[in-house]
Amino acid sequence: MDEIAPEYDVVVLGTGLTECVLSGVLSVKGKKVLHIDRNDHYGGESASLNIEALYKKYNNFQPGEEPWKKYGRVNDWNVDLVPKLLMANGELTNILVSTDVTRYLEFRQIAGSFVQQGAGTRATVAKVPSSASEALSSPLMGLFEKRRAKKFLEWAGSFDANNPSSHQGLNLNQCTMKEVYDKFGLEATTRDFIGHSMALYQSDEYINNPGQAKETIERIRLYANSMARYGKSPYIYPLYGLGELPQGFARLSAIYGGTYMLNTSVDDILTGPDGRVSGIKATMQERGNDDATMKFETKTKMILGDPSYFPGKTRITGYLLKCICILNHPIDRTADSDSLQLIIPQSQVARKHDIYIAMVSAAHNVCPRGYYIAIVSTIAESSANHHLELQPGLDRLGRIEEKFMGPPIPLYEPTGDGTKDGIFISKSYDATSHFETTTDDVRDIYRRAMGEELKVEGLREGVEVAE
Amino acid sequence: MASRKKVLLKVIILGDSGVGKTSLMNQYVNKKFSTSYKATIGADFLTKEVTVDDRIVTLQLWDTAGQERFQSLGVAFYRGADCCVLVYDVNSSKSFETLDSWRDEFLIQASPRDPDSFPFVVLGNKVDMGEERRMITQKRAHTYCQQRGQMPYFETSAKDNVNVEQAFEVIARNALLQEESEEYGGDFSDPININLDQDREGCAC
Repeated sequence: MDEIAPEYDVVVLGTGLTECVLSGVLSVKGKKVLHIDRNDHYGGESASLNIEALYKKYNNFQPGEEPWKKYGRVNDWNVDLVPKLLMANGELTNILVSTDVTRYLEFRQIAGSFVQQGAGTRATVAKVPSSASEALSSPLMGLFEKRRAKKFLEWAGSFDANNPSSHQGLNLNQCTMKEVYDKFGLEATTRDFIGHSMALYQSDEYINNPGQAKETIERIRLYANSMARYGKSPYIYPLYGLGELPQGFARLSAIYGGTYMLNTSVDDILTGPDGRVSGIKATMQERGNDDATMKFETKTKMILGDPSYFPGKTRITGYLLKCICILNHPIDRTADSDSLQLIIPQSQVARKHDIYIAMVSAAHNVCPRGYYIAIVSTIAESSANHHLELQPGLDRLGRIEEKFMGPPIPLYEPTGDGTKDGIFISKSYDATSHFETTTDDVRDIYRRAMGEELKVEGLREGVEVAE
Repeated sequence: MASRKKVLLKVIILGDSGVGKTSLMNQYVNKKFSTSYKATIGADFLTKEVTVDDRIVTLQLWDTAGQERFQSLGVAFYRGADCCVLVYDVNSSKSFETLDSWRDEFLIQASPRDPDSFPFVVLGNKVDMGEERRMITQKRAHTYCQQRGQMPYFETSAKDNVNVEQAFEVIARNALLQEESEEYGGDFSDPININLDQDREGCAC
């Protein structure tokens, strides 16, 4: 067994996407990184599992049964645990391109982005209109409303935060989004799909917050610009599932000298007399050999990691409800899209938080042909009957072959910012349908840990590596 | 003859740390050898265009980037490989004895559709160290390869450039055969290129 160095600049715990992006970036910047995961695979909470592992994780079968066998080769399945998609023009895409991690991954478009209006049998499901011309042909609005929406989208498209003449006389630093909607005379149902399926807010809190209008407009622009990039939807998705993303960044880190240890449990986090972290003790388990373990201790002044490694240093901010469903047909009223996002805005189904459906299929190498993987998710609003909270989403799916739904998933955030103890903890993957909040967390952790802003553009330029 | 689609062949190189995986790649692609051993830093993948039976193909050789040291190569590394090269050091019994684990690991992680016909090529490296240092005889290695579906076997020296070219010729040929045998999934659209500015692929520096 090779030697572990006596000291590392940074020890990273957990190989979720947030941790792997940070490892990759820090390694490129010349930090000596040791990256550990207790599991025998990459990805932590953002991994993709094969169908056997999925059944076992959710304990969805009777002892002695092997229900996954009817679904073909287990390794043809890569089922995401986190229902998220990449915005084509979003920050994660930017980081992937800037770091050249795109060399290890391939992407396809998500075929459609839909929104539901109304509920029950009278629900309309339609494509989210993202441009002026799409607004004019959308079944979501009446004749006059279409023209108002067209005007609004044209204005958002030409909006420039630095050019007050493009602000329509509104003081966007102070006004609410309600004032903006009022100015364009938009109806409640139009506000609903703009705010929830384009700006991607999960609740209606954004509407009456003074000063949030600018952020809302920027979100709408991100959606529309991402949409314009490839045409079918604003989203892209990596072949073989989201679990490929952390692995791509882990490889980037390894190429720049990062040391990787899976199957390794952290026994102790050591702190010095000043209360700051000074090192770790850990045990690596050799794969396929239960008796072979290697205990080691190494020094470090900084630890980054996901919340599961730091009980007692995090708090719960809410609970995510999630049901992974296997289908053998596309979703009704979505033009047989092989992949999609469908948002059910909260007000349409008398809730406070939206219900999301993310669906991928064989087009993204995540399951055999003929199958579809749809994940229905929302934020819990009750303490029981969680199944009922997801029901409007499940109703959209039609016949479901298999459901995987565990208990509500706690969402953690750190209680401290890490500057006192040298321990920098990431947030759980939230209920948003994309990775923009994940990259916000990456930037936030980087800023706190390194004392400077993360700049990914040109990161690898001029960094000598290969011999 | 109609022009055929450009062929990119993914070749991964496995084996214990220090057996010379990176050196073999470097000798083959860059005609360079460095005596100072570093656990691999910086080698990503190297590409080389070669001709196999009048067809021009691009070999993309994936280095483990050191992630093999603590058995921490992820499934993404193995995906879509067209040939797997297993390297050991003829002067180290242990590196020979672990070949089976590497082969098994590959078959589990990459899970090729037809594991029995998947092409492996075995290289016994560092033959330049002299007979007195040698731990694994050619005969033993040959027998081992015969017993596992007649894997082609080469004894190489990345340092003195012995048999490297010959080995990679067979690797390229077998990878191409494998690639042609598995063509599937053709009716989905091609993956999109998300590199905004320009196509940056093909950089083999």
